[in-house]
Amino acid sequence: CHTSGMLTPNGKEYAQKIPREELTHLILKLLQAWKEPLSHFNQHIEHHQELPDDSLSKAKQISNMVHELKTGVEKSMGIISNSLNGMASSESTGLSISNEANMMSDSDFIHCFRRDSNKVQSYLKILKCRIMPENSC
Amino acid sequence: MRQRFISSVQIILQLALTTTGLTGQSYPGKPKIIRCRSLEKETFSCWWKPGSDGGLPNNYTLFYSKDSEEKIYECPDYLTSGPNSCYFDKNHTNLWTTYIITVMATNEIGSNSSDPQHVDIASIVQPDAPVNLSLETKTSGSMTHLWAEWSPPPLADVNSNSHAYHYELRLKPEEKEEWETVSVGMQTHCEVTRLQAGKKYVVQVRCMLDLGEWSEWSSERRIQIPDRRSPPQKPTIIKCRSPEKETFTCWWKPAPDGGYSINHTLLYSKEGEEKVYECPDYKTAGPNSCYFDKKHTSFWTIYNITVRATNEMGSNVSDPHYVDVTYIVQPDPPVNITLELKKSINRKPYLVLTWSPPPLADVRSGWLTLDYELRLKPEEGEEWETLFVGQQTQCKLFSLNPGKRYVLQIHCKADHHGLWSEWSPEMNIQIPTDYRVKDMVVWIIVGVLSSLICLVMSWTMILKGYRMMAFILPPVPGPKIKGIDTHLLETGKSEELLSALGCHGFPPTSDCEELLIEYLEVEDSEDQQLMPSHETPSKNTKTVLKETESDAGRGSCDSPSLPVVKRREPRGLPSALQAQDARAVQENKGARARRETRCKASEQKTLPFNGESAKPCTWLAAQLPSNQPAMFGYHSTMEAFQITLNTTNANIPPFLVGNEENHQSLYPIAETVYDDMESESEMEYFKADQAIAQVTQTRRNDKSPFFNPKLMDYVEVHKVRPEEEPRLLLKDKDYSENTKNHTVPRTSKEYTQVSTFADPKVLVLAQDARAQQAPVSQEPVTETPQNPEPAQAEKNTDYYTTSPSDSSRDDSGSDYMDPSSFMPSFK
Repeated sequence: CHTSGMLTPNGKEYAQKIPREELTHLILKLLQAWKEPLSHFNQHIEHHQELPDDSLSKAKQISNMVHELKTGVEKSMGIISNSLNGMASSESTGLSISNEANMMSDSDFIHCFRRDSNKVQSYLKILKCRIMPENSC
Repeated sequence: MRQRFISSVQIILQLALTTTGLTGQSYPGKPKIIRCRSLEKETFSCWWKPGSDGGLPNNYTLFYSKDSEEKIYECPDYLTSGPNSCYFDKNHTNLWTTYIITVMATNEIGSNSSDPQHVDIASIVQPDAPVNLSLETKTSGSMTHLWAEWSPPPLADVNSNSHAYHYELRLKPEEKEEWETVSVGMQTHCEVTRLQAGKKYVVQVRCMLDLGEWSEWSSERRIQIPDRRSPPQKPTIIKCRSPEKETFTCWWKPAPDGGYSINHTLLYSKEGEEKVYECPDYKTAGPNSCYFDKKHTSFWTIYNITVRATNEMGSNVSDPHYVDVTYIVQPDPPVNITLELKKSINRKPYLVLTWSPPPLADVRSGWLTLDYELRLKPEEGEEWETLFVGQQTQCKLFSLNPGKRYVLQIHCKADHHGLWSEWSPEMNIQIPTDYRVKDMVVWIIVGVLSSLICLVMSWTMILKGYRMMAFILPPVPGPKIKGIDTHLLETGKSEELLSALGCHGFPPTSDCEELLIEYLEVEDSEDQQLMPSHETPSKNTKTVLKETESDAGRGSCDSPSLPVVKRREPRGLPSALQAQDARAVQENKGARARRETRCKASEQKTLPFNGESAKPCTWLAAQLPSNQPAMFGYHSTMEAFQITLNTTNANIPPFLVGNEENHQSLYPIAETVYDDMESESEMEYFKADQAIAQVTQTRRNDKSPFFNPKLMDYVEVHKVRPEEEPRLLLKDKDYSENTKNHTVPRTSKEYTQVSTFADPKVLVLAQDARAQQAPVSQEPVTETPQNPEPAQAEKNTDYYTTSPSDSSRDDSGSDYMDPSSFMPSFK
């Protein structure tokens, strides 16, 4: 996966140790990293005749959701996008990442995306329970 | 029969074929029944092979008959067993009958049928082969046994009775040709010993029912018998699981060891790394397992896990197993499940269920999110009701039936995509029935009230059933006659009734015997019998009685025993009659007309007496022994007759004593009169009593009538013509012997009126003064009175006695009075 290079906690303890802001950044970074490849992927699979129609619409839906999630996280965390210094540098890495992403096969692409979305989900859950512990935590 | 027909059809078709063979299309070729088979003795199928199709689409029909019955049936199911088949289900399969089966192929041109096949179900039974054959080697000590297990063949009808199969197993070493067969009996498992170590065996199994053939052999299964002299076989990894998304465990199945030791090691490597690690913990999770603790668990990385089996001779590695821990999370079932029954506002109970997540799962930090699902069913129910609850740890159940026991279970799943846990242990809860005192009281009251009402209703029905019925369904009223009360008639209070009509003294009093004696006296004075034998009158009376009683309640017109004066009489008549009669009675008290009474006349008390016409009164009066009523009767009769004659011409006078055409008995009189106006004739039996000669006259006649028993002669009946007044001709005895040429018999007298009824058997006729000289055509007397009775004849009135004649009927026929016997005055 093109995001394998990112240092992400791969355990509960590690994730709990990271301070909130850093975790948030990580989430956003991940989301950002997938923005480009997703749109590219959508374009790519539109030409695939053998895929059923609802796969195409689902893929589009997913990329929209990712975008919305990113926006939502930004807003809820009160982060202004340009305050993320790391974003600029990640832009460049993002380019290389996206290049890498283009070379993946479809199944690998989907596999990686699944993993990263799971990561994002887990981190967000931890964040949620840290910020608002009373809601089913 | 049908088959002969079919064969004849075939012949015809073959002839047709020769003429149509050039077209390229012909009737179909002969199909052939390939096989018939029953799987379990309850159903069977037959398959056929079509012949040539003759160029046209063919239709196949299968006909069969049973044993030697003539009736031919058609295949019930062409589909179940596939194309060109016929399936006979349970209802059509009879084990002990022989089926004669024929397949007929039909196309547009013609048809062709196969040779008949005789099928005996018992002989075609062959089950399918057993399935799910599994093999294991079991080592005990130094011995290795083969443990084989299988399942019976599956049947289409799952509900059919489990059949008792006999099994047979065969095995051989892979390289050999000869099979070793083991008879298993009825079990579905078998243990085989005496195996050669190190060899690979091939195993098969088959089955049979108690009759029929063996099934085919099942598919082959191979097993390697472990041997210390060879490297171990391959172990296999069964599964890897993480209970809380922090650690995970893997289990494997060891290579069969055959008694000697094999060492197993688990090796793994992570995604992106080359390094191979060995399992950190073989113990924690039990034998043949590896436990990865927190430190060794990484998420979002794929593990490559293998197990190696090693023995002295070598080693063997299992197939690799790839696993990402995030996707193998299967939590433990929830714990601390509590059930609480609460009552809601309207007293309906509901269930509050609470539970806790499994202890290991860390939901607090949000690392793991659990979704719960619960299911419940009534204790005796079959199907579970599943409810997805989500992430909450409590639930309220409202739709539970009071009084029932329920069984509940909960399980959970991690992260929306993990694996469901096991179900928690079953929880039982009894919903209490809701007894409200108020409800019970209401029901009790309702029940008591309704039972009371039922009782009351049934009692009223029993006691006053008739009245109720009459109230609900009023009876159709009979015809009402003014002045006559039908109820009086029914109840037999004839005194009241008669008094209403002006008659009284009826029924006759008890001086019956006295009168009878008198009667006998009279008889002696005459040759002729005064009265017919006792039998006949009694008979008559009896019959009269019978008839009259049967007519109780009806109008007297219906009574055959009553003289039919006139069939339809104006209603006003009875009353007039009554008035007259009353007067007559007053006037003629002195007149004594004793008449012979039949002792049995008293039985006639119950004669129905209603004044439909004047007849009843008159006739009944005729029966009376006592004088006064007799008087009355005569009067009324005469008057009635007079009135009758005057008023209606269409009616026949009552004294018509006989008719050529009709020999009417007394009893059918009523019917005949009513049925046929023209042919009315009456029978009346009057007993003439000499002593009763006196009959007071009506206003017309003041002479006292008297009886002359000698005056018996035939009376001619003048034919009644509507335009004429009916009249009775009294013929002289002498005259009758003479010629018929006399048109005007000097002694002939015309009697057109009945003055009175002297007796039940005596009719007093009155001459019509004006008609006296009129010539009258004579008509032959139809009957001879058998027992002409003496009657006293008066100057103008004659008594005529009717007597029973020996008609063919059981009832006495119409009688004539012989006026000659009482016509002395005329001579």
